[in-house]
Amino acid sequence: MKRTVDVNIPLGPIHPCFKEPARLKCEAKGERIVAAEVELGYMKKGIERIMKGRPWQEVMFLAERVCGICSVIHNMVFIEAMEQISGITVPPRAAYLRVIANELDRMQSHLLANFSYCYTIEHETLGMYLLDLREQVMDELERLTGARVTCAYIIPGGVRCDIPRTDAELLQAALDRIERDLHRYSGMFAEGPMIALRSRGVGILTQEAAHRAHVVGPTARASGIAVDCRVNHPTYRHLGFVPVSRPDCDNFARIMVRFDEVFQSIGLIRKCLTDLPKGVIRGGGVCKAGETRYSGEAPRGELTYFIKSDEFGRIIEIQIQTPSIMNIEACCHEMIIGADSIADVTSTFVSADPCIACTER
Amino acid sequence: MTLLQRIKNKVRSRSIHVAYVDVGSCNGCDIEVLACLAPRYDIEQYGIFVHNNPREADVLLVIGAYTPGWEEKLAMVWEKIPDPKAAVAIGNCPISGCLFDRKGSFVDPPVKKHIPIAAEVPGCPPRPTEILQAILSVRDSVFANWEESHP
Amino acid sequence: MGLSLVWYLKEFARTEWIKKFLFAKTAPLVTPSHFRGFPEPTGKTCQHALFCMMACPAPGAIEVVHAGDGWMPRIHKGHCIRCGLCVEACPNGVLKSGRILETMEREGTSLLFSFRIAIDLELCTGCGNCCTACPVNKGIDAQMGAGGHSSNDEVIMRVQKGDIVVIHEDKCTGCKTCEVSCPTGAIRIARILEGYQQPVQEGLQ
Repeated sequence: MKRTVDVNIPLGPIHPCFKEPARLKCEAKGERIVAAEVELGYMKKGIERIMKGRPWQEVMFLAERVCGICSVIHNMVFIEAMEQISGITVPPRAAYLRVIANELDRMQSHLLANFSYCYTIEHETLGMYLLDLREQVMDELERLTGARVTCAYIIPGGVRCDIPRTDAELLQAALDRIERDLHRYSGMFAEGPMIALRSRGVGILTQEAAHRAHVVGPTARASGIAVDCRVNHPTYRHLGFVPVSRPDCDNFARIMVRFDEVFQSIGLIRKCLTDLPKGVIRGGGVCKAGETRYSGEAPRGELTYFIKSDEFGRIIEIQIQTPSIMNIEACCHEMIIGADSIADVTSTFVSADPCIACTER
Repeated sequence: MTLLQRIKNKVRSRSIHVAYVDVGSCNGCDIEVLACLAPRYDIEQYGIFVHNNPREADVLLVIGAYTPGWEEKLAMVWEKIPDPKAAVAIGNCPISGCLFDRKGSFVDPPVKKHIPIAAEVPGCPPRPTEILQAILSVRDSVFANWEESHP
Repeated sequence: MGLSLVWYLKEFARTEWIKKFLFAKTAPLVTPSHFRGFPEPTGKTCQHALFCMMACPAPGAIEVVHAGDGWMPRIHKGHCIRCGLCVEACPNGVLKSGRILETMEREGTSLLFSFRIAIDLELCTGCGNCCTACPVNKGIDAQMGAGGHSSNDEVIMRVQKGDIVVIHEDKCTGCKTCEVSCPTGAIRIARILEGYQQPVQEGLQ
């Protein structure tokens, strides 16, 4: 008489597919996964504790280094929260330049997430194509801000440097090249038969389960919930932004939502470049006392800063809520249960795009 | 130098297997190491293969400021790597703690206290060109005449 | 895209493909000039204003040391995060990094510093450590008494009748030596930074 053995499989901190240390403990009956649990704590540095009592010029760099992949949005949300406390208005040219930097960062983050997924599925060719495309986006980010990662571009009252006309033309040409290549690569992904075998119908997260687990970001938009914080931002509303979503709730939909968002970002940057208003880029202004909560849309979901500052603009209390914790919880308790093999566990976990550095600061 | 030693030196400098461990970083340096793997700054053309398995590695890349979650585990991973081995610290975090080296944080820089480091690449994060230049300048000397210097 | 064997053979026999395969090279290891690297000296004389040290967010990255007859800022590469704030804050342009100095000149941007002294009177014991430790005070009145007493009216702060009194807050350079020497943590310095740009004149844009 056959007896199924229960095995506890740890997917440890050092793993070829996970870029960041997190331990995933899966309980399997045969090859089918019954339960899963995630264990974090390998990256806790205590950033919010260091931030207390410091002025904005030191906290801004610490906020950027909460996560190096989505560093521009952390910078932008922190500075916009300080501007909301102190009543500083931003000149329109600077607001558009901020959107350009934000969207370039979103493009490179989504291309990195898709590369990670293709690498996990062992489709290295497509992964390397996407990584090469990402290098072109990083070149443009470097030309605009001066650094590839952790750019420190946004300060209270505006941005740090302007975009001369020659650079704007180079950016337009680069966007055309990127869009052409991306049509080809997303077509390869959408029509590849082996990719469809491993992604369609795998890692299902139904809409009620998504509502129960409060997922955010592209993971939620792939389950039909079209929620996006950029709808509440005045500059994006001016540009006519509408969130994209897909109704099928599997790995394939999550990756395709990210490709759709890259196309959307290219469109937004083009619109910003053609409508760029003239004027100054720094409006001045000092930070004052107050308390606020401010949300922005990181590439992985909704990012919220709760800030309380004293009369000289130094931080008294700060709390950051990052998007990945909700997606990881949903992944472990809803998506992985019922997976048919361990290979599906790794690919589902990577398709939810976890950023462990954001989760434990 | 005997012929065997010369062959060993040549082979060990042109075929390096790399594993990396992230002891608590912001992921910026991690992405720049991934960008080294990209076709633009191809690191595999120099014979360097990044596969992330400590048991088969020659060089361990250490990224990040040492957090309490890795208390004895980093030393355990270092012991599991077979000889000849070397550790390279990438970024400012393992050298000095970067911005996190303030009163009230949980990090314990530098990583040199916990495992022996052979080379350092400063920068926050260092550009892929800088990482490649550092690795290319070090690969000839790090494993040269290993049996004589480590009896 | 055709999937037949003949198509594949014809594809690999093209001279363009063969040339690309045999002569392809990866990008040269060169850093572009607009990359914001570690700050380097330009050759101008350092005036010892110390704004670079006040603006630097990384602990232990920059310090202004003796160099020959004058001063020169020195960057420690293992600590510097290459943010470029020291390049922007220097009033004399002693450091350069990437395109920062050119953009500052073309757009008229700069960083403005102001320093504020805030004393919590409930914690202050009137010991006068801050007054004697302050290097600006020492420059103005070299004979300041051990308890912080001074008869010179040009000092930043002094102790009068057991209480601390701040007279010239605008002379403060923000070095925080008083904050470090206070036994109760009563005095705190705020370094207020503002990103400023000269307003655009009509007819130039």
